[in-house]
Amino acid sequence: MSSSILLRSTLPRALARRAALRTALQVRSASDAAEFKYVPGGPIYKGTVNDPTTFPPPSRVHGSYHWAFERLLSAGLVPLTVAAFVTSTTAHPILDGLLGVSLLVHSHIGFDGLIVDYLHPRKFPVLGKVCTWALRATTVATLVGIYQFNTNDIGITELIAKVWTA
Amino acid sequence: MLAASTRSALARTNLARSFATTARAAQAAPVQKPVVEKEFKIYRWNPDEPSKKPTLQSYKIDLNQCGPMILDALIKIKNEIDPTLTFRRSCREGICGSCAMNIDGQNTLACLCRIDRDGGKDSKIYPLPHMYIVKDLVPDLTLFYKQYKSIQPWLQNDNPPAQGEHLQSQEDRRKLDGLYECILCACCSTSCPSYWWNQDEYLGPATLMQAYRWIADSRDTHGEERKERLQNELSLYRCHTIFNCSRTCPKGLNPAAAIANIKLELAAE
Repeated sequence: MSSSILLRSTLPRALARRAALRTALQVRSASDAAEFKYVPGGPIYKGTVNDPTTFPPPSRVHGSYHWAFERLLSAGLVPLTVAAFVTSTTAHPILDGLLGVSLLVHSHIGFDGLIVDYLHPRKFPVLGKVCTWALRATTVATLVGIYQFNTNDIGITELIAKVWTA
Repeated sequence: MLAASTRSALARTNLARSFATTARAAQAAPVQKPVVEKEFKIYRWNPDEPSKKPTLQSYKIDLNQCGPMILDALIKIKNEIDPTLTFRRSCREGICGSCAMNIDGQNTLACLCRIDRDGGKDSKIYPLPHMYIVKDLVPDLTLFYKQYKSIQPWLQNDNPPAQGEHLQSQEDRRKLDGLYECILCACCSTSCPSYWWNQDEYLGPATLMQAYRWIADSRDTHGEERKERLQNELSLYRCHTIFNCSRTCPKGLNPAAAIANIKLELAAE
């Protein structure tokens, strides 16, 4: 641009400016693809402003069944905990096992909710998947642990009672 | 009697004479209202200077020279102090939903929000939280409207009556009360933490309440499809019953109850 200012005639100046503008536009269109790419949660939308947002494919397992199961489990834990509290669980190993598994599934759903809320794989393709699988592995390991502890040792209810009075 | 009447007549002429040239002094002196200065701290960001960080700009106005609502103060500031201040407003009576903003930490309509007359305390005004900002107090609501469009907010009936309008019992009509009044100001959606984190997929309380408005309508026959669309982990079930939506609604509606009703209907299917 500075060289074009030296020219007295307006025609070459206009031409130079147009050429500069064209190259600028070309550079911009090349970076457009990267700059205006759709990122989940970003300022760029899918489609035009007049297109409605879309829904993921319907799945009751992820929808109402999941929700109802979560609520029923939470509500079920109340009488289960009371039952384990008032009875001696060495006499009722099934009750002890049921409480252990229910608590485990309850916490698994809770932690899974955290991942969906804050580390969803659509936003965190690596970290989200790592966390999901880490949670699954932990849950399975804990399940094995509970089984071992309840069959070979005193069981979780007795443990809690001991810790409580210790 | 006679003496009294002549005296009063005399007094009248006296009065008329003595005040003939000083009529203004006879009037009550205009009450000088005290100056109640109030500081407003307003979020400013200009897209023309994208490298400059958003700042809070302070304006001081006399509350006794201003209307009672926050919107009056904003308009006064724009008219008299800083014409570059940018905000949306239209009806100034809480029916258009344009002036939704975050005032002293609460999402509400500037036109329905009274100015706190405590001059010692400042008022902080921000745009709706966790939205992309167009300028100053103007958020980008494009996604919000795209989401509203996605629930197909219109009457869908495969068997329209042969003639005349769709009829509805008074009881069925009453089910829509508290739903249809929503003005889509986006106060509730932008107060919802779940909407902050997942607004690209979660529909948010305002849109979900409108979804229920059409599910609950006895004249609409596409309720099953409307409900089926919400059967996924993100669109509806990111609601964790935080209740910010019902607490903040400037129209006094209850989006949380509408969402709970959708969940109940989906679970009962």
